[in-house]
Amino acid sequence: MPPAEPAAVPSPTDAALIAAWQGGDEQAAAELVRRHARALARFLAGAGAPEADLDDVVQETFIRAFRAAGSFRGQCRFRTWLLTIGGNVVKDAHRHAKRARVVPLADDLRSTEGDPHERAVAAEAEGRLAEGLRRLPRMQREVFLLRAQQGLEYDEIAAALGSTPGAARVHYHHAVKRLKEYVK
Amino acid sequence: MNDDGTLHDATLQDAARRLGVTAAERLDVERTAQAVVARLRAEPRARGAWVWIQPAWLKIAAALVIVAGAGVVTRALWREPPGAAAPIETIDLGDLSAAQLSELLRSVERPGAPEPVSWQDVSLEDLSTPQLRALLASLDMKT
Repeated sequence: MPPAEPAAVPSPTDAALIAAWQGGDEQAAAELVRRHARALARFLAGAGAPEADLDDVVQETFIRAFRAAGSFRGQCRFRTWLLTIGGNVVKDAHRHAKRARVVPLADDLRSTEGDPHERAVAAEAEGRLAEGLRRLPRMQREVFLLRAQQGLEYDEIAAALGSTPGAARVHYHHAVKRLKEYVK
Repeated sequence: MNDDGTLHDATLQDAARRLGVTAAERLDVERTAQAVVARLRAEPRARGAWVWIQPAWLKIAAALVIVAGAGVVTRALWREPPGAAAPIETIDLGDLSAAQLSELLRSVERPGAPEPVSWQDVSLEDLSTPQLRALLASLDMKT
C-alpha cells in the first residue's frame, strides 16, 4: 500500500497574516511582501515611481502598511489598501524629489522576446501611456491603474479610495478619454 | 470604451497591461521581504506610534493652554487692583459724620465709576470705593 500523500496545507489568508504580524510574527510580514510586492511594483511604476527607486518605494510602502495595520478594517482587500498607500508614498517622493520619471524605453527594447518592431511599438505606447498618466490628476491616475492595470471592480476601488463606485467610474472615463490622446 | 468600464482601445489596453511589468519583474522579491523585515525590526513600533500620537498630545496641550490662558485673563479682569483697602470693621454709617466719611474715603481712594447707593441699607464693608464716593457726594449735597 503506497504511503498516503500529505494533505495540502491551505496557505493562510492575508487577514490571518496581518493578525500574525500584529502578534509579532515577522515571517508573516515577509510572506505578505512575497505575495504582493510585484503587483505593488507594477502599480508604483505606473503611478510614476522612478525605476531606479522602485525597490525603496516598495519597501517604504510595506513599512507604512505594517505600521498602520491596526487601522486596516477590511473595507477592501489588503492588496488594494496597500496600493493606495503606495500612491501616497509616490506622491510624497515626488514632493521631495520633484524629478521627472524616466520611462524605461531602452530596457523594454532590450527584451529579446517577439518581433523587434512590435516590441518597439509596444514600448513606445507604454512610454506614452506612462507620460499621459503622469499628467493626469492623481485620482484619475490611480483609478485608471487600479481598474485597467490591476483589474479591480469599481466597488473595490471606491472602498479603497474613500469614494463611490459612480465617482470612480467617472474618474476612469475621464482618464481613458485623456490617455487615448497620448497613446493613439 | 463602454459604460461597463472595459477598454475598447486595443493599444491603450495592451499598454495598460504591460505598464510596469518589466520593472516589477526586476524586483528581487525575497530580498525586498528580508529588507522590510529588517527595517521593521530596526525601527521599533513605538517610534511609529509616537509619530501618530504626537499630534493628539499637541492638541490636548493646546487646549490646556487656551483654558489656562482664559482663566488668567478672566481672573485679571475681575480681581481687585493691587493696594486695595483692607477689610474695615463693621461700622454703622449713622455714627459717622460727613467729615469722617470724607477722611475715610481719602484713605482708600481708588479710581472707578460712581454708582448710586442708599447708605441706610448697607454697612461700610459692603461698599466699594466708588460707592463710598457716591455716598459722600450725596451727604455733601444734603449738608
